[in-house]
Parts: sequence; structure tokens; C-alpha cells
Amino acid sequence: MRGYRTILVERVDLGQGTTGRFHGLLHSGGRYVISDERSATECAEESAIVKRIAAEAVEDTGGLFVTTPADDPGYADRFLAACLKTGVPVQEIPAAEALRREPRLNPGISRAFEVQDGAVDAWKLLWGNARSAQEHGAAILSYHWVTEVIREGDRVAGVIARDNRAGEMVRIEAAFVINAGGVWAGEIADMADCPGVTVVPGKGIMIAMNHRLVRTVVNRCEHPGDGDILVPIRTVCVIGTTDVKADSPDDYSIGRDEVQQMLDAGEVIVPGFRQARALHAWTGARPLFKDERAGEGGEDTRHMSRGLALVDHLRRDGVSGFLTITGGKLTTYRLMAETVVDAMVEQMGDSRPCTTATEALPGSEDGRHYWLGSRLAAQEEAMADDQLVCECELMPRRKLVEAARRRPGMTLDDVRRALRLGMGPCQGGFCTYRATGILHGLGDAETERADELLLTFLQHRWLGLEPILYGDQMRQACLDDWIFQGTLDVEHLPVTVPT
Amino acid sequence: MRRAVVIGAGLAGLVAGVRLAEGGMRVTMVAKGVGSLTLSPGVIDVLGYAPGRVDSPREALGAFVAERPDHPYARIGADALEEALAWFTDRVPQMRYRGDGPRNLLLPTAVGVPRPTALAPASMAGADLRGGGRFVVVGLSGLKDFFPRLLADNLARADLPSGAMVGARHAEITASPRPGRADVAGQVYARALDDPAFRGEFAAALRGLAEPGETILLPAVLGMARAGEVFDELQERVGAPIAEVPTVPPSVAGMRLNTELTGAFARAGGRVVLGVEAVGATGSDGRISEVLVRDAARTRALPADAVVLATGGFSAGGIALDSYGGLHEVVLDLPVAGPPAGVAPLSERHLDHQPLMASGVAVDGMLRPVGPGGEPVWDNLHAAGTIVAGAEPWREKSGEGIAIAGGFRAAGAILEET
Repeated sequence: MRGYRTILVERVDLGQGTTGRFHGLLHSGGRYVISDERSATECAEESAIVKRIAAEAVEDTGGLFVTTPADDPGYADRFLAACLKTGVPVQEIPAAEALRREPRLNPGISRAFEVQDGAVDAWKLLWGNARSAQEHGAAILSYHWVTEVIREGDRVAGVIARDNRAGEMVRIEAAFVINAGGVWAGEIADMADCPGVTVVPGKGIMIAMNHRLVRTVVNRCEHPGDGDILVPIRTVCVIGTTDVKADSPDDYSIGRDEVQQMLDAGEVIVPGFRQARALHAWTGARPLFKDERAGEGGEDTRHMSRGLALVDHLRRDGVSGFLTITGGKLTTYRLMAETVVDAMVEQMGDSRPCTTATEALPGSEDGRHYWLGSRLAAQEEAMADDQLVCECELMPRRKLVEAARRRPGMTLDDVRRALRLGMGPCQGGFCTYRATGILHGLGDAETERADELLLTFLQHRWLGLEPILYGDQMRQACLDDWIFQGTLDVEHLPVTVPT
Repeated sequence: MRRAVVIGAGLAGLVAGVRLAEGGMRVTMVAKGVGSLTLSPGVIDVLGYAPGRVDSPREALGAFVAERPDHPYARIGADALEEALAWFTDRVPQMRYRGDGPRNLLLPTAVGVPRPTALAPASMAGADLRGGGRFVVVGLSGLKDFFPRLLADNLARADLPSGAMVGARHAEITASPRPGRADVAGQVYARALDDPAFRGEFAAALRGLAEPGETILLPAVLGMARAGEVFDELQERVGAPIAEVPTVPPSVAGMRLNTELTGAFARAGGRVVLGVEAVGATGSDGRISEVLVRDAARTRALPADAVVLATGGFSAGGIALDSYGGLHEVVLDLPVAGPPAGVAPLSERHLDHQPLMASGVAVDGMLRPVGPGGEPVWDNLHAAGTIVAGAEPWREKSGEGIAIAGGFRAAGAILEET
């Protein structure tokens, strides 16, 4: 948008990392008013901007902070004062009013505060940003894994990346390189010979439940802890999260104990939570930047700042043409971009102002927010003319065909990130076979590849299912086994089963 | 007249019900809804993988149960299985089940995998791949659950017995019972084909598609109530052999079997009550005297001299797993046999053995659910089908064999009591 010729390089698919593995919460800032004032103010300002520029990706649910019987009743007054201090809009409402709005809430709540939380669809937000970037002339290279940062003396002059789908090395020469590798930013800085950028992966678990048990984002009015936020997003609600230091940013394992912890935490917010059907679990790793000056530690990631961190390698390492932006949150993604590009512009001796806070993303020009029935409304219009490939997520065949034309060679996980394939209650029980058949029929996936797509997608769905299998989702998983193994015998397809 | 209550209207429950009614008992079958046969592909699996592909279930079964002493087949026995299958196929003549004596057929699935099964409707058996063959796979433009090109291309690379050569190509026809609708369910095609008018249009669309020597493979939607007639007439009018390939649920072939078997049950004098939930039982001296069922308004007691529990496993809802990992038998709170101690209940690899999914009730030789000491919980309670512990039938391709032999054996044990 500032007129630079730009190439975005991503190691897998857009949203395969932390961006797509989050809670769905567009933070009002209320969560950080006491523990992290700067983040609170940033969230308050940025969430208002994101609601404006990415309206299509946001459902304006509003949020509540409620004092449950398990919470310190003294926190509420401190919370209210801190909201005023940090500029986070807040209004106390009677507990009875909160219960009228959210009948499933714990009837024992003593206080309730209204805030401006929202629910944001990470993928819609991503595709909106990607389309905007492309319309402004940027190229996006997904599945390009940076293996080397090119140094010319004291200057960074580009990167070398491996194109993981074509199996080729790609050399990109650039006047400037921005390292926005998030939780992997330290690895990239190392490649530029700028050691010591430590980004601690703060891993958190999230579980999607089959229904919207609440209509409003519900936070516990307490010091930030585990499993104290319930976010209604699209047709589900998501409980989360935890915060533990992971050994590797690529550790996506899910502990059974963490699942139990989340279900117990859900009971505090919505009694009877365990009776609801858990659909899928996932983990993501927050990029928590560790400032050397903060001293030792880094074990207790919950109390590390969520603030964004700009690392100026010219000042720090004497290396020009290279900046790292990390830390931050999804809510402050735009501010992170503005901050780092401002720094780049300054270093290049330029003066081009940032316009991302005012220009709406493609698809969001009319300022209309996402609403729960919008997908069904679109589907009803096209009902007679098109086949529904994924009934749970109302994904029509036409959308898949168009996506395959735009982006040949997608995996079914790529399709999931673009079109929500397999994210609903049956977790791919029907649509996996259909999507495979369609991509093969289009000639997009030759036969062996099609078989691999099918088995890989089933395996990947299983990773998020196995830890939360109980109740009706166990039922569903067994039905899906009857379909795929019983009827289709997919385990004997003539390909090697992926791990 | 002695009274039996059968809980569950799937394959095992229906088999037990028919046999009990034919044996002179007054049988009431209660079920929450239509049985899960309507989801099944309509073939009769006995043993397909152990874990290598099984050529002859009869020959493989001895070693199979020797290695798996807790498998349902170990309780039922190979002889009872054979007797049950012969009895069963006589009860559903319209399905026209065909097999090859003791050997498995090898039929293509909708993704083109050669799948072993013991018996298949005549409308499917013609696709047997053991001797190879040439096929044209024909899709229906309005049916989204069948991909002729994927089937054909996978068939061409399938793992077949040595010497079996397969050639496969694909085509599509647009004849539709709902012209102008892009998305037409399989059962809509099937019911429309029962009507001679659409059948004629459909036959005309197929004519000329097959080259000499080719068999036409179609999704299994060739008729619902008059499937036999539809199949015969289509073959005749098209002038080429045809075979149906089952696809994902809802399954037309499973619906046909369900209709015929529930009809057999009614003709034998049985009574079906759908939409009620069995919630418990009362009894004394080790015998159930009443089964408690709840309908919309109240809980009622159905008198019973014997009970068959055929509520299925996890997928059908007979066994439930709670959020703490506890296993429950939902009707009578029977002890549930889960994975043995020290065994990981689930594997991170989806297609691996998943011991938790084989959970169910343990039974004795008369298929009576037993407690941890091996003693029957109730002397007149028998279990059949997927609720019985120790099998992963979707992997083994053993579901129908276990259900039919179990239902047959449970009924036999009850009838022998008199």
C-alpha cells in the first residue's frame, strides 16, 4: 500500500501457524488492563480498527467480564479502574441482566461488565489481507520455506527459500527484508547472523464445542488464567486456553490433562459444559518475545508481555535492510505491520504514510459484519444450482472448483483453511471423500496424490479429535470409521499411509 | 406364549427377532429409531482382513479366534456362523445374496479399493475383481457421492490376485429424476427407478456406453422397493452386464435389506415399536421380568421372559464414553469391557488399531453379558451385534457376520431354554 514491490514468503500455507491456531477472540483489551497495560490500550485501539477494515471477518458479539463464584470478588473494582486508566471501554451491568442475555451463564455470577470484544475468523481475515496485498501488487509465495537470509556485508540483501511443492530453491533479492516469522522469528534472525532474538513459544490449547453455548464473548473477571474465556464464533464456541512454554514452536501435541482442565474451566462459566459435544481441539504457540533486559526466567509465559516487539537490527547488530517484528497478538496484527513498515520507511529515508487503518479490505467495503446466518443465506440462493460438498459448513462445489482453479495443487487442509472443509460436527466424515473426488475429477490431483490427500486429511482431523473423543463425538468418530474403513476400505488404497 | 423383548432394530436385533418369532415367541422390538442397517453397504462381511486380506473366512477363522480369544467369533463359533448365514439368506430372498462358497468375493468400493466380502446382492456380485475384468464406471451428474474417475483410476492400480487384469474407464450420464436440481440424493434416484418411466430414460442413457466385454459399474441406487426387477430390466435393455457399487450413507442397498428384514419380522408375527428408548429392567432371582421403556409421555414396563440387547456399539449409541473417560452400557448399566490395562486406548495414527473402539459387553458362550468374574449378569439376557466387546468390524470387515451369527445364536439360546 505504500508503493513498494513486495513478496510475502510463508513456509506452509497462510494461517497454518499461529494465526490460524488461535481462539477467535478480537480482544477489547479488558483481559490485559491490570497485567499488561500497554497491550490493553493497543487492543482497545486496534480492535476498533479491525472491526472497521475487516468487517466481513468479524462478528460483533460484544463481550462480558463476569465474576463467578470461583473468582476473587475484589478483582472487579480494580478491573473497572484499570479499564478507565487504559482506555478500554467498559460498562457495568447488573448480574441479572447478564443472565438474561446469556441464560447458560453460571447463575452464581456476582458482577458483570460489558466490553467490546468480538469474534474474528482468522482465515477470512487472512484472505482479506492477502487479496488486498495482491491487489496492491504483492506476490504471495506459500509453501516457500526460508533456508537462508542473504547477507552482503552489513546489509541483508534477500532470502533463499525452498519451494516445497515444486521442490526447487528460490532466490529473492530485496532492498529490505522484514522478519515477521512470529514464533519462528528467532530462527530467521539467526540466519541473518543476528543471534539472540529469543521468541518463547507460549503454547495454548483450545477446544471447539458443537454449539454456541453463549452469544457474547465471556471472560472471567479475574487475573488472566487458564480456560477463562469462551468465544462464540460461527456455529461453535471455543474454550481456552492455557499458556505453557513449549520446547519447540512446532510442538502441537495436546495433553489429555489439558483437555480435562478446559472442560472443568468450561463448567465454571457454563454449568453443564461437559454435557456439550466437543468437536475438535488444537494448540497454537504465542510468540512471546524475550527481552534480554527482563532478566532470566521465561518459564512462566502467562506473565510475559503480549506487546509487540520491534527489533531494529541496524541499532542492535549493525545490520541494515533487516527488521524483526514479533510478539503481539492477532488483535494487534495491523499495528505490528504499521510499526515495522514505519521503521523500514525511516531507515530507507523515505516518508510514505501508512493507510492500513483507513482502507477496508476487499470484501469488507460495505462495513457489514459477519452474522451467523450469512453462509446459509448465500447457500439458499444457490441451492438448486449447486451441490453441497460439506453440509456442516455449507461449502458448495462451485467454491471448491473456483479455489482449485485459482490455486492448483491444494491439499485438503489448504481447502479447509480457505473454505472450512471438514471443520463441522462430522469432522470430514462425508466431505473428505467428495472433495477428493472433485479435485481428482478436475485433474487437479492425479490418482496417487488424490489418495494421499484423502488419507492425510483424515489423519490430520484425527490429531485434533483423538484427545477430545467422548460423548457424541466418539459416536461420530466411530460412524466415520464405518464409512471410511467399513464401506470405502480407504486403508487399503494403494498409497503409503501418512504419519 | 413366551415373550421376548429385543432392544435395537439393527441387523443383530432383526435377525434375533425373526428367529425368535419364527420359534413361536411373542416378540416386541423396541428401538430409538430406524436401525443402522440403513447406513450399511448391503453386503454381508464375515471376515475380510486378519489383518492381511482373507481369501477364505472359513479357513482363516480358526487361527483368527485362536489369536483373539475375546473376539465375538470366539464365543459364537464357526459352525454357528455358517448355519446362521444359510438361515439368513433364506429370509431375505429379494436381496439375492451371492457368494463363492467359502471364499470371499473382491468387490470395488466407491474409491476403487478391492474389498473382500462373503456375500453380496446379485446386483453387486458381478463386479467381482478376482478374475479381473473390464469396466466402465458411470457416474450420475446429480449424485455427489460417487466419483467414477476416481473409482476407475484406483481400480486400474488396485492390488489384485496375481493374474487378474483390470481395465477401467469412466463416463457420466445426466438422466435425472429431478431435472434442474444439481444435488439429488441416492434414494431419490432409487425410488425414481422403481417407476418404469424413469427407468426407461435411464436405460436409454446407458445404452451404448459399454463396449463389448465391459461391465458397467454404477452407484448402488438401482431401485428401492423393486430393485430386483430394476436390475434385471436395466441389464436387458442396456445389453451389458451391470454391477452396483455401494457408496457413503445413506445407503440404498442397506435400506433395501432393512425393508426386507423388517418385513420378514412382521410376517413372522413380530412387533416393532420405534421412537422409544429402553431405559432399564426389573427382575429377580437373576432373571429380567420387565424391560422399562420411555416414550414421549411416560415410562412403561414390557413383560419379558427373555431379552436380546442389540443396541450397537459407540456409533449406534449402545455404548457411551463420558467426558472423564468412563465407559457405560446405556440401557442396563452392564459392566463394559474396555481396553486391557496397560494398553493405550487410542493411537495417534488414525488407521491403526484403536483398542477403545472395541469396547463393549463381554459375553459367555450363550452370549449372555457377564461381570468381571465371568458370571452372567442376568440369566435371560443375551447380547448380539456390535455391542459385544472385542471387535473392530469396520477394520476386520466382519460386521454383518458378527451381527447375524450373534443374533441367530442369541435367539437360539433363548429358544433352547424351553
